[in-house]
Amino acid sequence: MEYVSPEGLRIDGRRPMEMRKLQAEIGVVAKADGSAVFEMGNTKVIAAVYGPREVQNRSQQLNDQALVRCEYSMANFSTGDRMRKPKGDRRSTEISLVIRQTMEACILTQLMPRSQIDIYVQVLQADGGTRSACINAATLALADAGIPMRDFVTSCSAGYLNSTPLLG
Amino acid sequence: MGTPNAVGDWSSEMEVNAFRRLFPLRYYERHLSESARYYCVPWSVCLAFCLSGAVASSDGSALAKIGSTTMLAAIKMEVMTPPVDSPEDGSIAVELHMHPICSPVVRPGRPAEVAPVISKQLFDSLLSSGMIDLKELSLIKGKAAWMVYLDIYCLDADGALFDAALLSAVAAFSPLHIPVVSLNDEGRMVMVSEELEGEKLDKEPELHLADPTFEEESIMETFMTVVLNLSGQLVSLYKPGGPVLAHTSAIQECVALTRQRTKELKEIIDEAISTMQID
Repeated sequence: MEYVSPEGLRIDGRRPMEMRKLQAEIGVVAKADGSAVFEMGNTKVIAAVYGPREVQNRSQQLNDQALVRCEYSMANFSTGDRMRKPKGDRRSTEISLVIRQTMEACILTQLMPRSQIDIYVQVLQADGGTRSACINAATLALADAGIPMRDFVTSCSAGYLNSTPLLG
Repeated sequence: MGTPNAVGDWSSEMEVNAFRRLFPLRYYERHLSESARYYCVPWSVCLAFCLSGAVASSDGSALAKIGSTTMLAAIKMEVMTPPVDSPEDGSIAVELHMHPICSPVVRPGRPAEVAPVISKQLFDSLLSSGMIDLKELSLIKGKAAWMVYLDIYCLDADGALFDAALLSAVAAFSPLHIPVVSLNDEGRMVMVSEELEGEKLDKEPELHLADPTFEEESIMETFMTVVLNLSGQLVSLYKPGGPVLAHTSAIQECVALTRQRTKELKEIIDEAISTMQID
């Protein structure tokens, strides 16, 4: 199957180095301290940040910095076929870890010792690049929550197909 | 901060927000006795909003918001073998998901207790109202039938969860298309015959609060949910115990309020479906 046509166009009409349409909105979850919806083309994710708040599990409390936790989950209807186990499978656990380590590196955790920052990300529509959309949404949600960060963290996925680099 | 007077009333000494957090019950009693927000003019504050077709990858979907409470419902259909004791019936599975994203009180590893309760309530209401005819979901008698998975995700939990969930479920079912099955070349559009509107009312002694927020729900002693269909017939009445007992007059009042609300919600759903883009 031709993923890149002879004219240099992809299936959805994009050039190889062209990204999809980006849309974002913050403050969507009233109950959360910070929240954001991020859309990259048809991929749509929602992130909510709760914190800094008291650590639930005292044994995990860190005396010199904040504890950052992250949970990634996909909605049952997010992919083409209905998913049976949207949480707790290996892929979700791995992506949760990736997002946590990324955000932990950019949050100024030493400013909030003995506290906990929870980042919850929910994928509503999955059309590739969910990991990147989640990181972008998490950054916006953290900014909306007013949590001090070193800088914005943004993400985009890219790959090679038949020696043609493709973006997003 | 001054000392309390003889009645122990700190309110005159303290800032309003602090009083609201420390003595929620007294705050609401004073507020309600003075203002007409909740009972006489309930709906102008609790706005409902509905958007159909919110999820492109599903067979039917809707996003419903009542106040701040947000529910996203989506329907996925799969072919399955019908059970032996009802070979002509399809099946519906309803599940409400409450993840930690929706509220600070839901924690990972400790699922919300209210989610399976509402799932069951929804399932009972949808089936008993006759909104969906299971016989229409059958493809080949005894061999194949549609299984309809209704997943509702709570994105923001601020009270009246059942109402918002029911609103989103009804709006998701309304323009549902059953996909074409290549085996039989059969494709049908399911039209909802009766629309349902749910209504959650909380009761305090002599005080009814319609459509409570999360903060109000946490200090309520008892609540009652009334579900009516469009012709005003009672589909479901749910009052799960509590220290306050309901008099007939109170129940009748609640049903009358629900009737009024039904009309408003019907307009909202109709508007949502007509503005939805059909691919």
